[in-house]
Amino acid sequence: MSVRENEINTEMVAPLDFSGKRTLWETLTGEKYYKWTLIIPLLLVLAIFMLYPMIYCLFYSFHEWGMRKPPTFAGLENYRDVLRDSKFWLALFKTLQVLVFSIGVELVVAMGISVMFNREFRGQNPIRGFILLPLLISPLAVSMMWNFFLQYDFGVINLTLNLIGLPKVLWFSPKWALYTIAMISIWQWTPFSIFVLLAGLKSLPRDMFEASRVDGASAWYTFWKITLPNLVPLIMIIVLLRTMWLIRLFDPLYGTTRGGAGTELLDWQVYRETFVYFDIGRGSSMAIISLVLTLVVCAIMFRQLMKVLGSQEG
Amino acid sequence: MKIKSVAFWLGTIIVLLIFVLPLMWMYLTSIKANADIYSTSISKLFVFSPTLENYHHLFFKTGFLREFWNTLVVAVSSTALVMAVSLPAAYSFSRYNTGHGHLLFITISTRMFPGAVAAIPFFFGFKALGLLDTTFGLTILYLYFNMSFAIFLLYGFFREIPVELEQAAMIDGHSQLAIFRKVIFPLIKPGAAITAIFCLVFSWNEFLFAFLFTRTAARTVNIGLSTFWTATGMNWGAMAGCTAAAIMPTLAAAWFMQRYIIRGLTFGAVKG
Repeated sequence: MSVRENEINTEMVAPLDFSGKRTLWETLTGEKYYKWTLIIPLLLVLAIFMLYPMIYCLFYSFHEWGMRKPPTFAGLENYRDVLRDSKFWLALFKTLQVLVFSIGVELVVAMGISVMFNREFRGQNPIRGFILLPLLISPLAVSMMWNFFLQYDFGVINLTLNLIGLPKVLWFSPKWALYTIAMISIWQWTPFSIFVLLAGLKSLPRDMFEASRVDGASAWYTFWKITLPNLVPLIMIIVLLRTMWLIRLFDPLYGTTRGGAGTELLDWQVYRETFVYFDIGRGSSMAIISLVLTLVVCAIMFRQLMKVLGSQEG
Repeated sequence: MKIKSVAFWLGTIIVLLIFVLPLMWMYLTSIKANADIYSTSISKLFVFSPTLENYHHLFFKTGFLREFWNTLVVAVSSTALVMAVSLPAAYSFSRYNTGHGHLLFITISTRMFPGAVAAIPFFFGFKALGLLDTTFGLTILYLYFNMSFAIFLLYGFFREIPVELEQAAMIDGHSQLAIFRKVIFPLIKPGAAITAIFCLVFSWNEFLFAFLFTRTAARTVNIGLSTFWTATGMNWGAMAGCTAAAIMPTLAAAWFMQRYIIRGLTFGAVKG
């Protein structure tokens, strides 16, 4: 190994070697190709895990394939059926509903809590540690835990409501189920937003706030005009990541309603179409539509984020 | 000043109750007998005779220990794989802007594909290769599952390392590989550790792929957890015991590595 390294060293020290006799290894670690060599493993993984399923899906989205019979070409039929299916649009709309509701609540709550915690106080480390706990638990375990707490008859939430004189609520009825599931996700993920925003608040230069205090600005004005604009990149990161994760919401559904009670979200529908009904063609076309939607939304957000981060650096 | 401080602590207590109380309640439930769990009387919420029945059931009557071991094997080996692929790739992205951001976006977008459908081609592929219901098969799937997040995280950490250090080493006549090993790696180690923690936790918590790709031999704790839901309804006591035991490792990780995890959550977009 050390001999090998010495060879490369001399190669690097004397780049004006026109002999043209470079071994493959030297070419790969040479100036020109080094950056590509580094991502060869990634490209391989991407080819296997992204290109292959995508091409496979795209191919079978143009086919009629119900598992029992061999696939037959069907053109755009699957897409037409899906786009005409009101259930698909309903699932899409509900996913959007959960998305907007969850991210909205998370951002507002997290902003309040992080502004509150943006100071030095006794026991701050253990308190932050406690708040971090929900974030790292399995989402399935979280949803089953809440499913248990929210049981109609013996759930601790309803018993508590009864105790203070409020009526019990059927948390997993069609009326509430979607929001109950969103709340479970919010409970688990708000700590994420809290810590991202808190880190942002801590990194803001202090003199900015002092200047505004000297000018006699109110705390409210300072928040809107100084704090919030400076947190925009972080808020964008939160929205981007949460959008990506929420569109793929699946585990909380499995742990609670299993798509019943009007909670069939996009990914659950895709799952049911492919692994319960074994309609691979239709499931594939839904997946492609869902992928394109996600890609477009996230590409726009990602570009904005890169722009903001880039302008910060320069 | 005093009112302000009282309000602050009141707020803190409420926040703590919201996030911690449910977890404590879970552990409390896990030492209750089923008769007490299904009781609708308020007093039974707190007054009950504690029992280890649920844990006894979990450890001796279910495959929990096996599932725990499977999950550990898959989480550790997939994390090692993810790091081997992500470290050089993220370095290339951050230092040379390889692919002008497009390739980075494509990498991150791997997670936007609906999991259930990405699973179909793999299901048939794995079936042909005999990888269904094996820890090795699940390990490979988790490479795909964690890679995009790992690269995104590491990308941020690499950006924090000043280019000047490398240039200095380059002038000293070190090769690219030597620079990566001697200059970059020591600096990226904390960031890499944080990324590895996240990969471990995410692998531990993953459900969909484990659910679709394992049956008995390679079952993970999450799958074990989901089996308490039978046709006759949920066995809540056993479920509580299993949840309590299954989330223990990640809770411990959250508690003991909170500083690093919090740092990782900010993606290097914020320094400090």
